[in-house]
Amino acid sequence: MLLRVESLHAGYGATPVLREVSLEARAGEAIAVIGPNGAGKTTLLKSIAGMLRATRGRVHYEDRSLVGLRAFQVARLGLVYVPAERELFPTMTVLENLELGAYTRIATARKNLEYVLALFPRLAERARQLAGTLSGGEQQMLAIGRALMSGPKVLMLDEPSTGLAPKAVAELYRNLSRLKRAGLTIVVTEQQVPLALSLTDRAYVLEQGTIRLSGRSAELLGDPGIKRAYLGVA
Amino acid sequence: MTAILFDGVVQGLQLSLLAVGITLIYGLGGVLNLAHGQFAVVGGVAAALFLQFGLDPISSGFGGILSAGILGLVVDRTLLLPAYRYRGEERLLLGLILTLGFSFLVDGYLNWQVPEFSLSFRLPVPMVEIGGIPMRTASLAASAIALAVFAGLFAFLKLTLTGKSIRSIIENEAGAELCGIDPSRTRTLIIFLAAMMAGVAGVTQGLSSSLGTEMGPEFTILGLLVAVVGGVRSINGTLAAGILLGVVNAFASHYVGAYVAYIILLSFAMATILVRPTGLLARFT
Amino acid sequence: MKSISILALVLALVPAVAGDSAYYLRLATLALIYMAWTVAFNLIFGHTKQLFLCLNALAGTAGYVAVVLAKDAGLSPWLTVPIGAAAAAGLGALFSYVSVRRGLGVIFLGIVTLAFSLIFHNLVLGLRQYTNGETGLVTRGLGLPLLEQPVPAYYVFLGVLLAALLTYHLLMRSKSGMAFRALSDDELTAQLSGIDVTRYKVLAAAVASAILGLAGALYAFYNGIVSPSVFSFVGIDIPVLIALLLGGMRTRLGPVLGAAAFTLIEEMVRPWGQLNVLVYGVLLIVLFTACREGLVPLATRAAAAFRGRRAPAAGSRRVQEAER
Repeated sequence: MLLRVESLHAGYGATPVLREVSLEARAGEAIAVIGPNGAGKTTLLKSIAGMLRATRGRVHYEDRSLVGLRAFQVARLGLVYVPAERELFPTMTVLENLELGAYTRIATARKNLEYVLALFPRLAERARQLAGTLSGGEQQMLAIGRALMSGPKVLMLDEPSTGLAPKAVAELYRNLSRLKRAGLTIVVTEQQVPLALSLTDRAYVLEQGTIRLSGRSAELLGDPGIKRAYLGVA
Repeated sequence: MTAILFDGVVQGLQLSLLAVGITLIYGLGGVLNLAHGQFAVVGGVAAALFLQFGLDPISSGFGGILSAGILGLVVDRTLLLPAYRYRGEERLLLGLILTLGFSFLVDGYLNWQVPEFSLSFRLPVPMVEIGGIPMRTASLAASAIALAVFAGLFAFLKLTLTGKSIRSIIENEAGAELCGIDPSRTRTLIIFLAAMMAGVAGVTQGLSSSLGTEMGPEFTILGLLVAVVGGVRSINGTLAAGILLGVVNAFASHYVGAYVAYIILLSFAMATILVRPTGLLARFT
Repeated sequence: MKSISILALVLALVPAVAGDSAYYLRLATLALIYMAWTVAFNLIFGHTKQLFLCLNALAGTAGYVAVVLAKDAGLSPWLTVPIGAAAAAGLGALFSYVSVRRGLGVIFLGIVTLAFSLIFHNLVLGLRQYTNGETGLVTRGLGLPLLEQPVPAYYVFLGVLLAALLTYHLLMRSKSGMAFRALSDDELTAQLSGIDVTRYKVLAAAVASAILGLAGALYAFYNGIVSPSVFSFVGIDIPVLIALLLGGMRTRLGPVLGAAAFTLIEEMVRPWGQLNVLVYGVLLIVLFTACREGLVPLATRAAAAFRGRRAPAAGSRRVQEAER
């Protein structure tokens, strides 16, 4: 088990959001966390990534506890998070953004850069452009590319399809597929349920801060409850 | 006319040295350092002490600059610790008051211990003619040093990975953390550099005119005004603003008097905050 | 209300205790002035989080306006003092209004008001024909004989302080008080709950600036001389800030106790001369790191503990460590 979350409680100030959340991911697995708006998907990822401190529970990554670590420490361990806001550096070039992604692994930076540019040729074309001038889909690619620059073991993405045109979304998930096949462990949260379920091996349904359902993505796709709740809307 | 312009540019560059330091500390540390001028004064005082101990002028200057940097380090690692436990506006406010208090502390101490102090370097050749315009070598030297420091800073920020990480933190601290960059370690580095730059300003003040222990608050305010006009998050804007305000101040002082000149500078700053808080010159550079 | 009455009684007895010492009576009178100023600052900064770093300029504007109008236009101080106070109130309200409209944060408002403070200083120095620059103007014999004798002057300022405290009391008891409490907790939420944030901030600033101006204008006459150093930043803003922190923000008598405590400290430090600035620095640092609550809350809790009651929770404004 590469990543294991046990009985996680987290929230903002006095407002609790997550209650008794547990999930796990094996090396090379792709898991999805789906659920409606406000369910706590972002809170969950932020708690794992160290951007938010959990109030109770455990988070284990490669036998290390992540609870209490700062975000940059978690990133250095090989678990990188791509938030919904992407958090790029708009006045810096695409290349500079990527370079900074490799800040903690300078030795392999060159190799990773070649890999990322091969994976996202569009980024290679726009290498010297300022990140703020890219389109939504390109910014998403850059955010993922930057995350890959440190050669991570786990990639967490928060609603990566947000704000993207359908064609860009399809391209995004094609790329995520390729990354999965290359052995990367992926955790993705989505409101676009069919996409998330088709990419991943297993999925968790998060509603109102707790896990309601979990299982193999293929099975969940066929579940009538899921169909009614999420696929009708998707 | 050109003499006034030259004086304005020289003074402006010195103000920029201070202002860029304030900008960096604000952008990276989220703290408005009201003690920044005191770094400059301490740098000058240290340089004078080294001179007194018999060290040659150049080494004394470097010693003073380094001392200023070390003071900055100490402030970051001790005084500002309570401020760093907070975020955003709380941190700004706490940092402001703490550095204000520290500024008084240093001011009071220096004026008590060395009230007659004045640092002044004498150069062997007082005047030099360039392109038919007589210029004081001291002012030229001060400007050259300031420009060299800026060139070094820009090269550092633009070309080195550490420099880029600094820019990234100023731009988006959350994003930088996601890249594995440790903001507090970088912040300490930047305060060290900013304080050293203030030290340079203090020493060059001793070069181009003279430095007294009571100049701390004035340095801070002028640096703050320039930083505000240039945009507290824009380094290029701050450099441009420094030169602009330096020139404006020189001309205004000459034609309408020191008080009105000061009022003009203050009005620039107020206008910037009210009309374009990101800085009058931030986007043009 | 009860506490204010007790305070009034206690303070009214001071001249009897001070006896014939003109020095101590003057000290007490100055303390009263600073108390009034601190009450005002409590409204601006304590309750509505507006960092005005121009208290000296507001008080000074009132002072100079009152004196110059009395001197050059021959108007009676009974007229010019209210005019001065009104001018201060107008300026304070203006800064508050503009800052809310432009969405200026605490820091930028602080910088703007600091700039104003400096502009005031330089204006006074620059407009020599009216203000006589650095030397200043003599204010004796301009028509306020009440202020030229120590004991009556003391009671005048006691009156000002009580008026300020009463105003504060009435404000806090009214709808405005509720608005202030909501504001200082969370401005955005207050705004969303339908509270007109602009109106209450400007109101607080206007009332506080009026108090600043009233005390400032009267001070100018009481002092016998008005000059830039009478209304300096280090002489007014810093002591008031320290006094408010010492006494406790957002409390009724905190400003009074804080200003009294500060006056004591000033007296103790006086023989050290120039070192008072150093002491200010240390005080600011210590107050802002160690005890951010101040004397009054500490005393309240001590009293409650003494009586065996459970003390109220410390109202620390520390942001939760949850969000990093």
